[in-house]
Amino acid sequence: MNTTKKIILAGLFAALSAIGAFIKVPIPVLPFTLQLLFTTLAGLILGGKLGAISVFCYIIIGLLGFPVFTNGGGPAYVLQPTFGYLAGFCAGAFATGKIARAVPNPSLKRLLAATFTGLAIVYALGIAYYWFIYQFYIGSPLGFWTLFLYCFLLAIPGDIVLCIVTAVIGKRLIPIVSYSN
Amino acid sequence: MKPVIQLGRYIPAHTIIHRLDPRIKFILTMEMITVLCLGKTFLLFALTAVLIIFAAALARISLFSLIQTILPIFGIVSFTVGVNIFFIEGKTVLWQWRFLRISQEGLYFAAFICSRIMLLVTASSLMTFTTAPIELTDGLEYLLRPLNRLGFPAGAFAMTLNIALRFIPILQEETQKIMQAQIARGASFGTGGLFKRAKAFIPIIIPLFISALQRAEDLALAMEARCYHAGKARTRMHPLCCSRSDIHIFTVCNAVFVFLMWMDSRFAY
Repeated sequence: MNTTKKIILAGLFAALSAIGAFIKVPIPVLPFTLQLLFTTLAGLILGGKLGAISVFCYIIIGLLGFPVFTNGGGPAYVLQPTFGYLAGFCAGAFATGKIARAVPNPSLKRLLAATFTGLAIVYALGIAYYWFIYQFYIGSPLGFWTLFLYCFLLAIPGDIVLCIVTAVIGKRLIPIVSYSN
Repeated sequence: MKPVIQLGRYIPAHTIIHRLDPRIKFILTMEMITVLCLGKTFLLFALTAVLIIFAAALARISLFSLIQTILPIFGIVSFTVGVNIFFIEGKTVLWQWRFLRISQEGLYFAAFICSRIMLLVTASSLMTFTTAPIELTDGLEYLLRPLNRLGFPAGAFAMTLNIALRFIPILQEETQKIMQAQIARGASFGTGGLFKRAKAFIPIIIPLFISALQRAEDLALAMEARCYHAGKARTRMHPLCCSRSDIHIFTVCNAVFVFLMWMDSRFAY
């Protein structure tokens, strides 16, 4: 792949991540967005490095002030407790891509392992950042159980489903992409 | 997918703020954010608010559109305020019901955090209101140029941002078309269990990605046909230029920021 194509694909997946934040899966209590699906797919399809670059571009676009995050955008978004998940998407896409594309034709099992590793990284960074912002910026330390409930228990079922769906989609898209290259 | 992302937040006009060099606008915005984050007094917040409203008036941005930028973060602000009001342990208790307790300190701290977040958002939206997207990415590329020496491709990075910004509205329209086409074929997104609802999006995502990849292919061909080479020095249609009045504005603003910080440290307690 030449550099021009790499630049375009990174831009394309950054745009897709922005769109993913606005597609909501209608679930009665907690509707969740497809953001994780698109950022993980960036890793699966583009590979670790380029996938992480594209998610990084998405974050920069949001920080520049374009309202592409779920709650708007702007430099002040760094101070939102949920920003850690966004940073996690970037690191997660890198890990997912590295694991998935280590072999030319990954099996579904490998893809699942890759997406779940990415998920673990997203949550680790997300929860750590949430705790950090509450502890040091907002100044009201959260208890372990509150943190566990808000950052993990309420969101994890939807994201586990998304990981499985992502692996299935990746299995179908990766051959198409490698064919067109 | 009902809310369409409003990327056209830029309000074109010919004012002194719009004409300001995007690099200077960028640095000034960052400085303002730093001032707000370091601030410890309401006095500083009040003066910054006056400053923001003054700049908005110069840029002929209505107060209404400034307030609109706060609306999306209303949820997080009210949550933060709630947490702070009820859970900060203070000496002067104003109201108490079982374990819920409102203290004077809690109220004060909640108001403090709330005004800081709202000012941060309006200050940064001022930049996107008055700067065209292409100017913003150009400015960013220029500011990142020193990183070229460390192997960071600033030019390619700005190009990626531009392409992403260009693709967002196109792909959004595409998603809506595909969704309507699948609904017309009997797809339903709001029924069944969690897994079934998530799976219902596969028939949207696969066509979306395939058409998006086709677009990328076409764009690559078009750019190469016009001799685009990543990493080569390029000339610009509108080169950035920093005029004397830009420098004056920059100096005055910096003086104001230093003054604000001095006031803040003086009146902090």
